[in-house]
Amino acid sequence: MTFERIEALAPDQASLAAARKLLKPSYWPALAEGEGLAWGECQGSGATPYRVVINEADAGYKCTCPSRKFPCKHALALMWMRADTPAAFAATTVPDWVKDWLSRRRGTSTSPSKTDDEAKPKTRPSIRLTEILEAEADADPKAEQRAAATRERNRLEREAAVLAGLEDLDTWLSDQVQQGMANFVAQAAQGCRTIAQRLVDAKAPGLAGRLDTLPTRLFTLPGPARPSAAIRELGQVHLISQAYRRASDLPELLAADARQAVGWSVTREALLNDSEALRVNAKWRVFAVLSEAQPDRLRRIETWLWRQSSADGMPQCALLIDFVPISTGAAVGNYLVGDQIEAELSFYRSTIPLRAQINTLKTGAEQSREPLMLPDEPLSASYANYEHALAQLPWLGTIPLSFRAASVRRNGEQLYIYDDESGMSLPMHTSQANHALPLAGPDRIDGIGLWNGYEFTLAWAETQLGRWMRS
Amino acid sequence: MNLTRLHAKVLPSLLGGTSRHPLPGDLIRPSNSDGTLEMFTLMGQALRFERPSTPESFIVEPEIKDERKIIANSLRRPLIRLLNAKNATEHLPRALARAFDRLRLRPHPFDLPLIDAFVRSNAEKLGPIAQHWADRQKPEAETRSYFEPELLDESNWTQPTLSRRSAYLEHRRREDADAARALVESTWAQEEAEARYRLLQVFQTGLSMSDQTFLNTLEKDRAPRVRALATRFLARLGASSESPALAACLERIKQSQSGLLRKRTTLQIELPANVKDQAASRWILQTFADVSFGELGGALKVAEKELIAAAAKDEPLLLALALIATNERRLDLLELVVAGLPNAWERMFEAGLDTLGTMTESERQRWEEIVVHPYRKDVPTTYALWDWLHRITDTEAPASVMEIALHAKVLTKVLEHERGSGPWVEMMAAICLASQRQKLREQLTKFDQSQTVTPLALLEILDGMENDLTHV
Repeated sequence: MTFERIEALAPDQASLAAARKLLKPSYWPALAEGEGLAWGECQGSGATPYRVVINEADAGYKCTCPSRKFPCKHALALMWMRADTPAAFAATTVPDWVKDWLSRRRGTSTSPSKTDDEAKPKTRPSIRLTEILEAEADADPKAEQRAAATRERNRLEREAAVLAGLEDLDTWLSDQVQQGMANFVAQAAQGCRTIAQRLVDAKAPGLAGRLDTLPTRLFTLPGPARPSAAIRELGQVHLISQAYRRASDLPELLAADARQAVGWSVTREALLNDSEALRVNAKWRVFAVLSEAQPDRLRRIETWLWRQSSADGMPQCALLIDFVPISTGAAVGNYLVGDQIEAELSFYRSTIPLRAQINTLKTGAEQSREPLMLPDEPLSASYANYEHALAQLPWLGTIPLSFRAASVRRNGEQLYIYDDESGMSLPMHTSQANHALPLAGPDRIDGIGLWNGYEFTLAWAETQLGRWMRS
Repeated sequence: MNLTRLHAKVLPSLLGGTSRHPLPGDLIRPSNSDGTLEMFTLMGQALRFERPSTPESFIVEPEIKDERKIIANSLRRPLIRLLNAKNATEHLPRALARAFDRLRLRPHPFDLPLIDAFVRSNAEKLGPIAQHWADRQKPEAETRSYFEPELLDESNWTQPTLSRRSAYLEHRRREDADAARALVESTWAQEEAEARYRLLQVFQTGLSMSDQTFLNTLEKDRAPRVRALATRFLARLGASSESPALAACLERIKQSQSGLLRKRTTLQIELPANVKDQAASRWILQTFADVSFGELGGALKVAEKELIAAAAKDEPLLLALALIATNERRLDLLELVVAGLPNAWERMFEAGLDTLGTMTESERQRWEEIVVHPYRKDVPTTYALWDWLHRITDTEAPASVMEIALHAKVLTKVLEHERGSGPWVEMMAAICLASQRQKLREQLTKFDQSQTVTPLALLEILDGMENDLTHV
């Protein structure tokens, strides 16, 4: 636990300032540690002290105070004290209330003190799943059959609703094509909102979300590029809808991609319990953390990982996605750029496996100075890999592209990542025009970034002046 | 169908709308009712496979040579955090900028966007690369090449930052005023208004009749403040036909003789009837700002030191003389004036003095000693006074001044009487010399921890900048 991590976790400066006031030992009648956890009791204004616990491996935390900020000032203060004065924590056995919290956590981690048997990869079920499992254990076979039949009936009803929604989508798409994309761009906000609502009703939230956010994505592009971008985006929507209807004719993984794109989600528990899911055990390095507020008042936090140890034929990178309520103020996940973890990841089924969940965390996050183990390939080679992936998964979204010996060049205000050897260049995200400007020049850099088909977001660069990381 | 045909035949229809520009019939399979959407999707995928175009040319980034060392890596994060701290006072960036300048360090280029406001406000003290960053949005005509050679001479004096150019010119004026003027004349036409004003200010050093011809040419300068300054210098030289400022002062000074055995000249200001007590200091600053000791003494036929003695019993006139001595960098005279006006610090603050002109750092420190020392027994604990002192001197407090503040336990008194002592503590940290930081830290332990976070961080960073050997 470092101050940088605590600062990054704090929802705002006020929380940090409030935590600072709680650093006096007199506020903490009890402070203890054990098995990679630290906990304490903080005397608040009430009669009963708040109970606070933190997990050092993944910066997880829990406090019994009623604050709606996460982490609250008590959790931040405990982290801070842990970083500043670790000697103040007495080593002791983990109390029941801490064990209880640990058992309810959705995250999985192994603590250093666990035996080999205990440290074996295993899934720690969520509270909800625990309840379900307990209920299942007690249920009689007939009730189980009825529940299964209900689930199947619901599934069929949803399939029918989705297909009906896709019919409406086709009609809407035909109307847009008849009126032309130049016209569509002018009315994209209203048009997309209407069809997105229809698709929500049709229980196809994936497509609905894609269409709902389309106008925003279009308006981040220069005006002249928008109509052709609309063709690309709406073309993908139609492609997904067609693939979904013809899923039985497609390879299994592509069919799974189509179902996920439409909105059939796979729960975390289901993924972790799926014995056939692709699992990769390796050292992973966080090379980018992206945070975006969504219209549904959730913040989507993307943690991009790069595999640092060899695992032939396995995915080189992975994407962890977390959603947190915007109201909590949390803007980052549990990991910071530069963190290294050793973990087994389970990948969602896909033609191009990318999104994953942590199955077993073997070592907690630690900042590392080591460089990323980037392949010895220029930008053009990475881009060729992207094209290959795009051919396999036509609605492929954002994907990492690594590069060696490229440079950042400028044309007006627009920055480009430029491959001197091939002459290829990718326009960089406009939001980086200022922050990446110090990189502009003829100096060659190695690095990695995220390509969304329109703009390249530089995430990490090794330069003559040291490491540059997206802030 | 190839990509060219798709672009030529299909794209226009999809952009304009198939109702007005139907897709060519031969491209759609008649048996397929969904043909239009298929073609639409195909076009979309074709566009996705198009590689982004590369611009025909890129901007050639200027190569800026900066011989300063880059601050140590371990200090970068704390520095960014401190400079972006919420509610932090301007004392912190001011102290940091001074440290960068004094130690010949510069921020890491990657951090410039993250401390943009600091860089823009203090570009001159942060080296050529930072200055180029601060000027990046200026029109090309207003920017210049930045180079900061270690040693300046006549061949390269135009290259570094304006503050270093002024300092070099000042040095040259002391050595050889005519040669220094010749240097300025040779580049005058290329200088922008701010530079012209700052360089002309230096002419105060070694001002002589040989400058008259050059100053005459400046009476038609485009910048009003350059014209005003040139006129002032000409008036001092007695070359101007008249000095309105001097006339305005003399109009208000009453000269008389006093003493029984030995007649002494006494001088007194008669304030205008419409200037009330509180506004008197400001009126004095405005009225006496543009006159010199020499002019005043000449007009009143009194020598410089006698002028101070003659004004000894008139506090407003002593204030006027203190302001003139400050303006002229005559610290010897200021010391004499302050002997008769021990509250000169407060009076000059009331007057609204906002610059010490071209004083060097050592002169500014000496000036501070002169105005603070009379308070030795009872140092004021008014934040505005100390804040002004730091702002106007823009330097660390001299050891003797800081010793007075620490010995008098100014901070402890503040703690007892004022709430929200955060700005106080930040200011004290910003003006504290390295040798006195430990004493200050000891006094800071009495404060609430939340109020000392930024001041202690500043002290840590300053210590690091001075002692860290890993600057690169």
